[in-house]
Amino acid sequence: MARVTNLATMTPAGRTRSWRIFAWILIAPTVIGMLLFTVVPIIGSLLLAFFRWDIMSAPEFVGLQNFAEAVSSPTVRVSFLNTIAFVVVAATLQLGIALMLAVLVQEKMPNWLRVFFRSVFFFPLILSAASVSIFMSYLFNEQFGVVNWLLSLVNIPAVPWLTTSSGSAAVIILVYVWQNFGFSFLLFLGGLSSIPKDMYEAAELDGAGGWGKLVHVTMPLLSPTTLVASVMAVINALQVFDQPYVLTRGGPGDSTRTAVMVIFESAFQKLEFGLASAIGLILMILIMFVTYIQFRLSRRFVFYQ
Amino acid sequence: MSSGITRRALVTAAALGIAGVSVGAWPRLSGADIPGRHAKGLRVAILGNSADAEARRGIAEAFMREHPDIPVHLQAIQGADWKDFFAKILTMVAAGNAPDVVYVATEGTQLFAEKLAEPLDSYVQRDAQQVAEYFADVHPSLIEAFMYRGSLFQMPLDFNAANMYLNSSTLRRAGLEYPPAEWTWDDFESMMRGMKKREGRGFTPYYWTNRLFGGVVPWLYTNDTSFLTETRAQGGSWLWNGFYRGEATKTPRSGGYLWENPNAEDPKVLETFEFLRDLVDQGLAVRPEGGGGNSLVGLFANGKIGAAPAGGYWVDGLVQGGMGPKDFDVQFFPGQRSQRHQFGAAGYAIMRDSKLKDEAWEWVKFTARRDQMLTMFDRPNTTPTRRSMVNEAFYAKTGPQHWKVFYDTLDRFPTSGPIPAPPQQAAIETALMKNVTNAVGGSRAQTRQALGALQRDLELAMRSV
Amino acid sequence: MTTLVTSRKQRRERHSGSIGRVIFLLTCALLTLGPVLWTLSTSLRPPGEAFDLPPQFLPLNPDFSSYTGVFEQIDMLRLVINSALVTGLIAVGQMVSAAMAGYAFARLEFRGKKWIFALILATMMIPVQVTIVPVFMLVRGMGLADTLLALIIPAIPTAFGTFLMRQYFMGIPAELAEAAQIDGASPWQTFRSIYLPLAMPGMAIVGVLAFNYHWNEFFRPLIMTISEENFTLPLGLVTLQGNMGTGSISVVLAGVILSMIPAFIVFLFGQRSLREGLTAGVSK
Repeated sequence: MARVTNLATMTPAGRTRSWRIFAWILIAPTVIGMLLFTVVPIIGSLLLAFFRWDIMSAPEFVGLQNFAEAVSSPTVRVSFLNTIAFVVVAATLQLGIALMLAVLVQEKMPNWLRVFFRSVFFFPLILSAASVSIFMSYLFNEQFGVVNWLLSLVNIPAVPWLTTSSGSAAVIILVYVWQNFGFSFLLFLGGLSSIPKDMYEAAELDGAGGWGKLVHVTMPLLSPTTLVASVMAVINALQVFDQPYVLTRGGPGDSTRTAVMVIFESAFQKLEFGLASAIGLILMILIMFVTYIQFRLSRRFVFYQ
Repeated sequence: MSSGITRRALVTAAALGIAGVSVGAWPRLSGADIPGRHAKGLRVAILGNSADAEARRGIAEAFMREHPDIPVHLQAIQGADWKDFFAKILTMVAAGNAPDVVYVATEGTQLFAEKLAEPLDSYVQRDAQQVAEYFADVHPSLIEAFMYRGSLFQMPLDFNAANMYLNSSTLRRAGLEYPPAEWTWDDFESMMRGMKKREGRGFTPYYWTNRLFGGVVPWLYTNDTSFLTETRAQGGSWLWNGFYRGEATKTPRSGGYLWENPNAEDPKVLETFEFLRDLVDQGLAVRPEGGGGNSLVGLFANGKIGAAPAGGYWVDGLVQGGMGPKDFDVQFFPGQRSQRHQFGAAGYAIMRDSKLKDEAWEWVKFTARRDQMLTMFDRPNTTPTRRSMVNEAFYAKTGPQHWKVFYDTLDRFPTSGPIPAPPQQAAIETALMKNVTNAVGGSRAQTRQALGALQRDLELAMRSV
Repeated sequence: MTTLVTSRKQRRERHSGSIGRVIFLLTCALLTLGPVLWTLSTSLRPPGEAFDLPPQFLPLNPDFSSYTGVFEQIDMLRLVINSALVTGLIAVGQMVSAAMAGYAFARLEFRGKKWIFALILATMMIPVQVTIVPVFMLVRGMGLADTLLALIIPAIPTAFGTFLMRQYFMGIPAELAEAAQIDGASPWQTFRSIYLPLAMPGMAIVGVLAFNYHWNEFFRPLIMTISEENFTLPLGLVTLQGNMGTGSISVVLAGVILSMIPAFIVFLFGQRSLREGLTAGVSK
């Protein structure tokens, strides 16, 4: 960095100016785009949240009424509770499965096999959540689905997956985790490969077994990765929409309605744009709060080398 | 050096390629290639895909031959259901590119009447002589469904009553007879039981079409109740006296349905849901899934389902699913306290803000002509509203044997009515979808609880808009 | 002697442990691939057998009628073209704009640089669902309602891509630029002929990431497009599945499989870039 500054001061004044202009030209598309499609909209959302507007008639200032409605509406409240419950279960499963598989894949095995596992676990990430939800809806069909057929082989009676509250919540979590664990898996794999081998050798000398090495070497040294992986898993899970939209449309009842679904329905099915903005802002605050908490916790628990 | 040249050539070629694609694809990117996007003329929106628009192309061309001064642009709007479709029309209105004419089903009639559509009264009265023949051929029940507070908003072209489809081979295997017209819920239940006993695992006697049409409402109607209260509006005598003078004396007709209050806690509603819950509980029916329509045809055609509620539209689907005329049949919906049927129907509505209302009326009138409806409905993928078109020839190749049931439903049960769809339709549908599964899929206690929740949700829904 | 025994015993234990481990991993791999294999196999069976149990995971007697069905029942070709246009132009737009901005932030000095860069990074925190309503209004105001451009233009500015490219340019030695300076190269020449070629792998990462995300995107197309003519693949397939009484499960699944093919090709050839991109936020 210092070198570039040097270079700039070294060059004649006219040239410095042309470099500066050049810099502005280079960042212009991104900066203008960001202003137009993120900064302006976020301000717009902030304003819209205080109005009632259905596009057909003029916006009407309603103060905090949209927020009051969002907080008091049972559907909105349930959808946020659903979202939080979903995040807790899905992120835990996703991280747990990913960590376990990453540790197992990282251990000694032929390289081609490792590449195979890595590719397979990564594969669902390239599919669209909408398509995945389509085929999963057939697999989880109560009468004719493969999942219940497999269960029937071990004498478990047919589970009404998509037609009961608990069943559909379970399906959405399973489908979501199935598709996303590969992401955390990749992060853990990267984290594991950066742990120096001599740490394990030292632990072995101290008489640590496989479990001991996991608890005393892997986990502490992996904690920065775990932090990032969990922040990302939580933020992504908070925004879940595609799976419940395609699989259950939020039902039965409100049992699988998520925060983003309520934003979508308020805005584009009921044309309550102000209410949708208010709910969106609440979601954003939630996301920021969760991120903040996770980083705060990390100070206590994360072990930086 | 040479690698520099090839790289430069490569980059230039890529840049040119992208520029070329962007320019060449500009009409696609900007939507300019969508027929009628910015063109002058009558814009007609229908629910469906491009194939559905294509099916109406012939009508549009015929119309333009007769009215060379009115170019017509058909626009297919996709939606998972009518609720989706109406939301999209509303967004189009908001975006300033609203269509002039929209094909609207009973689900949306009152929403449109309240907010978006122009009444047809003055047009119908002006051209009474031209449209008299239409009304003479169409059952008044279908017309009444499109009256709102004394005004007519659409002239329905097709309808579907919720009749009961039966899998003939399943019936035969179980040694069961085709049921009589006045069969009851009990007859139905024992028929389902008979099928289940014969077929065993992997077979479901009764399957839902979706939660609304052919869902719970037909059961509620045949138990002489509904999840909303039903009254009739004043007015409409201009139409009944004008076109149905003889008939209206037999069954009183009104200025349209009014669904104004929730009625989910009516004991007859509870009774209906308990009956359905018991069917599910005994394994005689599946839990109602949302719009499982597309797997349904395949399952029925493959003999994995014994019975399902559907209208005349299903015939074509079953034939495409591989069923022959003798493989399936249809009967009236089984009755309980009543045998009142539920139907859905659809027709073109003129948009209030259209600048081409007169032209739009010409389109409405034209498409309701018998010759045009014959072109439109060339196979039984729905039931035409004209009595004269629901005939032997229409079902000759496809069956079912008792095709007469489709139109007889209206004559035999003249109080049959549409899906309860007040202007708050979207909120009502959401409330119903939310609670039906819980009411039917759980314990008896849960049924009562879910109906309580439905009542509350409906109260909220009625307050919206 | 004793050490020899224990080590052999240990080896045996480790060996059996590793077999158990591989079997477990293979089971997990099967669970991961199973649903996709079933989808492929079912799409290759006649619609009437779609629901047959036990299920088949391997398509032994492929029947391609569902694949022709996809093209008959929906305008599959148009969906593919739309998805390709949207994804391709977003990817190219992101690669170019992110490379430009990333270079400026990594190697050039200008007023407010840190501040602007921080602002760009901060936008990464804002979920798309929060801004979608105003963006919808904005696009409507620009006369782009219900067009593919409404999907493309707002997606081009990329905070993550800019961040990634900045990291990439910072990894390229500054001495190269100095040498070019002394030869009298203009800012544009320095950027285009010295830095850009070296940053190609970084741009590939941005491109592959953009492809993976936007090819599969569902939420924005669901909102931004109204006409069927403007649908992208995931939206078209969900609509196909949702339509009452039309189509069959095999046809829907055939559409799903077809829509996976481009993503699969990228997976085969760009897996490394994709992996690097997805994990980029962590390793740095």
